[in-house]
This record gives sequence, C-alpha cells and structure tokens, in this order.
Amino acid sequence: MTDVLRIEGLSKSYSAKPALFDVSLSVADNEYVSLLGPSGSGKTVLLRLIAGFEQPDAGRILFDGNDIASVPAHERGIGFVFQNFALFPHLSVYDNIAFGLVNRERDPLTDENVLRSKIMTMVDLVGLKGLEDRGVHQISGGQRQRVALARTLVSQPRIVLLDEPLGALDANLRTRMRGELRRIRSQLGVTFLHVTGSETEALAMGDRIVVLDNGSVGQIDTPDAVYNRPISPNVARYLNCYNLFEGAIDGNAFSNGVHRFPLKGALWPNSVPAYAIRQDLITVRQSGVSLADGEAGLTATYLASEYTGAAFMYFFKAADGHIVEVEGHLSHRAPQNLDANSTYQLVWKADEALVYG
Amino acid sequence: MQTTVIKPVLSVYTGLFLLFLYGPFVVLGILSFQTGPNGGPQFPIIEWSTYWYQHVFGLTPPSRIAPLPIYEGLARSLTLAFMTMIVSTVLGVMSAQAFRTKFKGSDAVFYLIVLGMMVPGVLVGLGLALVANIVGIDRTWWGTAFVLHVVYTFPFAFLVMLAIFNRFDSSVEEAAWSLGVSPIKTFRKVTFPLIFPGVLSAMLFAFTLSYDEFSRTLFASGRDLTLPLAIYGTFSIEIHPNIFAFGVLTTLFSFSLLAVYAVLMTASLRRAKRVAIQEDA
Repeated sequence: MTDVLRIEGLSKSYSAKPALFDVSLSVADNEYVSLLGPSGSGKTVLLRLIAGFEQPDAGRILFDGNDIASVPAHERGIGFVFQNFALFPHLSVYDNIAFGLVNRERDPLTDENVLRSKIMTMVDLVGLKGLEDRGVHQISGGQRQRVALARTLVSQPRIVLLDEPLGALDANLRTRMRGELRRIRSQLGVTFLHVTGSETEALAMGDRIVVLDNGSVGQIDTPDAVYNRPISPNVARYLNCYNLFEGAIDGNAFSNGVHRFPLKGALWPNSVPAYAIRQDLITVRQSGVSLADGEAGLTATYLASEYTGAAFMYFFKAADGHIVEVEGHLSHRAPQNLDANSTYQLVWKADEALVYG
Repeated sequence: MQTTVIKPVLSVYTGLFLLFLYGPFVVLGILSFQTGPNGGPQFPIIEWSTYWYQHVFGLTPPSRIAPLPIYEGLARSLTLAFMTMIVSTVLGVMSAQAFRTKFKGSDAVFYLIVLGMMVPGVLVGLGLALVANIVGIDRTWWGTAFVLHVVYTFPFAFLVMLAIFNRFDSSVEEAAWSLGVSPIKTFRKVTFPLIFPGVLSAMLFAFTLSYDEFSRTLFASGRDLTLPLAIYGTFSIEIHPNIFAFGVLTTLFSFSLLAVYAVLMTASLRRAKRVAIQEDA
C-alpha cells in the first residue's frame, strides 16, 4: 500500500503552550484511520494543520510525496468535514454540493449537464434524493451531515479529514451514520482520517486507530490491538474500559500499598508503573473465598449498578478508595443481585491484566 | 404589583420622548401649509394651502420671495453622501476583515481609527482648512470636505462591521477553501452574502452622517455649499415657509431611504435566521 499522507515531526504551539509535539504518522491509500483523543489532546489542531487552515511550527506534511506545508488550503485538494457541518446557509442543498465544482480555482466545472449528473449521483449515494432544492435550514441534522459529506466527496479528493463528524448528531442517528460513512467510503475508495473523542466510534470505524495523548502519538495500531493491548496507561485510560491502578513493581507482584497483584505475563515498558484490567474480564464473587492459582483480585464494597441494555455496569469501592468498574454482559452472565455496602471479591486471571513499568 | 405603577410611568415617559422627537417636525410640517406668498412662518395658519410646495418646485408666479438657493447644495450633498457611503463602507469592511486576526499593534490602530468619530468636528474642519491653505490645495466639497466626511463616517462603518465579524463563523470560509475555492472568490461567494445585513447598516450610517454633516464641512468645503450649509445660509436673511416645505420633502426622502433599507434588511435577516437554525442543530 502506498502512503497518501505522511506526517513527520509535526509540532504546533499556541502562545508557548504546546498543542502538538513531534507527531509522525502515515495514512495509506484507501484506508480508514480514526484518530482518538480526549478533548485537548490536539486532534483538531492536527486536522487543521493537515488541511492548511493553520501553519505548523515544525515538521513536514507530505501529500502524495510532496511537502505541502507552505501550500495554501485551497490548493491542497484535501477534503474537510466540519463538526458543525459549516454548510453555506444562503444556498440550497444542490448549490451547496455544487459549490466546490463550480467555484474551485483548478479546472472549474462549467458544463451544466455534467454538473447536474455528478451532483445527482452524489445525492443518490448519500441518500438525499428529493431534497436537492431545499434550503439547508429546511432539513434535519442527519441530512445536513449528508450534505456536508456530499459537498466534500463530489470533488473527489484523495483524502477527507473528518472532524468529529458525528458529534452533532443524536445517539441513534450516530450509530446509523457510522455504517453509512463506512459504506460511502468503501464505495468511493477514498481515504478517511476521522477524528473522534468517542472510543466506540474509533474502534468501530477505523482500519487503524491513532491514539493522541497530550499532543503526541500514544499508539497507532489496529482496533483489535489497541483495545486488547493498549501500549501505555494513558491509552488504556482513553479507551474507557480499563480499571487502572498506579503503584510500583515489587518483586513478582504489583503493589500500590494496599493491594498486591501477582505478576504473570509480559511487562510493558513505561515511565510510570501501572496495572490495568479490562472491566469485562473481572468476575464478582462472595468474599472470604481464597484466590485460586493464577488469579488476582481484591476485596471491594459494592456501591451501585447501571443497566445499559446488553450489559450491567457494577461500581465497587476498593479498600484504597479506588472506584472499580465491572462490566457484566448479559449474554454470558446472569445479572447478579448484589447488596449495597456489602463486601465482595473481585477476581480476574492474572495473565489477562496489563502491567506497565 | 410593581408593574401597575411602572407601566403607566413608562408609557408617559415614552409618550413624552416621542413628542419631543417628532414635535418640532410636526410644527414645521403644519407651518409648511401656510398660505402664500404673504403668510409667514408663524401661527396661526391664515389659510391652508400648498403654495410653498409649489414655490419649492418653481411653480408659482414670480413674487418678491426668491427661490431657495439650495438646489445645487442638495445635488452636492447627495453626491457627497453617496461617495462617502461607498468609500467608508468599503474601507470599513476591509479594515474589519483585517481585524479578524490579531496583528502587531492592532490595539493601537483600533483606537486611532475610532478616534476619527470622537474628535470635535469644528477643530478637525478648521485644522484641515489650515493645512489646505499651507499646502496650497483648494478647499472643495468633493475634495477636502469629502476626505473629512470619510474620516468621520469610516469609524462607524468599521465598528458595525467589526460587530458583524465578531459573531461570524469562519468555518464556512474554511469549508470553501477546502473545496478548492480561492480566498477572494470565497469572500465574494460566501462571506459577503452572509455579512450583507451589516454592510447595509454601515452604508446607512455613512450616508446619513455625511448627508447632514455641518461642522466639518463648514470650514472644509470652500465656496460651493452643501445642503446643511445652504439651509443655514437662508436663515440669515429672512425665513419663509418654503424652507419648511423643503424640510418636509427631504424628510420624506430620508424615510423612503429607510424603507428601502428595511426591505433589504428583512430579506437578509430571513437568511440570517437560517444560519441561526443551522447553528442550533
């Protein structure tokens, strides 16, 4: 696979506050890359630098092998879909989609018939048939999202940057648009770089995931690898499905002073020692039963639970004050009746935990 | 309980305000229908007539009352106001656009621009007249006075446009760029249509401020008088109701300008509403 986009050592600061530091990554042709990071991790800044809306302090942006750092935004040929859609409010759906083709500097489309057929094909593809003549204020949020997408895709950019494109939609629409986005992308064979703050979105959408951690790249890998083997405690934290403990390696155990977990399996190098266990790998038992061989665990007080449909989330308070979350999927576990303020034993397989140190 | 007191008080206050605002104009309007050519600019109305309106248009038989020497002034003032409106609005839009990104010394430049509307007009007019004398430039309404009118009205246009750009969402411009549209074309096709209500307001400000500007023009305009100066000039001889008739006519003209403004504004506000809805979604 050839790289459409390569970023090398990109840095950007705002009034001496670094927003991005030494970011390097590459995006292959016809690939869907999701960029995950909490707010303030610099993900939107990275996108704006690639699009040319802002200038980097250092580093190179290679598009098709050419350094485009000094090329103005309108000559880059990189599509951008905004979180607030940024549709042209004074134009109809049709004219919004036609805007780029008609007004672009490089070979604008003047043939009315070619234009019409191109736009109608795109309108069909994104499912906006019959709405072409509406004003963009007369359609729903999901339809506006489709207009924003169609407007960008119709000029056939090699790569499209999407800045939290589903963030402005309500939950069930978001799930539907996820599938739509993937379908549209694979149909056109265009490369997507999709920024999101939602770990489920990142995992569901990307062929690969880039996790941004405080302005630097935390991990780049497939969704499966990122989910099961986050490379650092921070990446694990952003995935929102790990219980994390800080402490120290003490002989063949990890200890935070209160709890001790036996070490099995590999140690991930990291400057800050940490212990991570995924929420759905923990089982809840009555207290007083001792741990079997190869098991790790702690005793904790049950606080509350939350029903999420296919699963239950149980919240416990460990002896060190830490809130431990346990996810119980109802498909392979019956809902447990736990008594509030009673003590239980939380158990997991020691080799399923991730240890950093 | 409190509203029972506050409401009548406020209505009386509002009534008084409107009375003081429009009272003088109503008096002028009534007196303009005085009989002519012997009726004077005072009550009571001897007989209702449209004589003075006919006099304004030169439709009356010759009498001892000379036609108003203000028609050339009217033409000059309209031309001057139009020129000022165009130049100030263009400058206002451009400078407000420049202020969208902070640049070195932008604070200082901001105050220097706004100062143009603060400094006393008489002093500026006198100062420019002196400078023109020293440099050897003739004072004219279309030269020296025009410059002063622009200096005076440009800050108003600038402030109006600054307020408009302040709440302008620039992501629509970025969207246009990312589609390959050049910044200049983006301004023409996206930015300008969206800021048009503000441009209209800036134009209205510049036109009306220039149209009845007096103090700056007094010193800077030279021999040929603009309308406010010409009207002032007629006061020094003898006042006849024809000047009132003329006043009523120019006021009606201003109202029609406002009506045009209102129509254009409603059209673009309807568009702005769409923007607001889009932002809410």
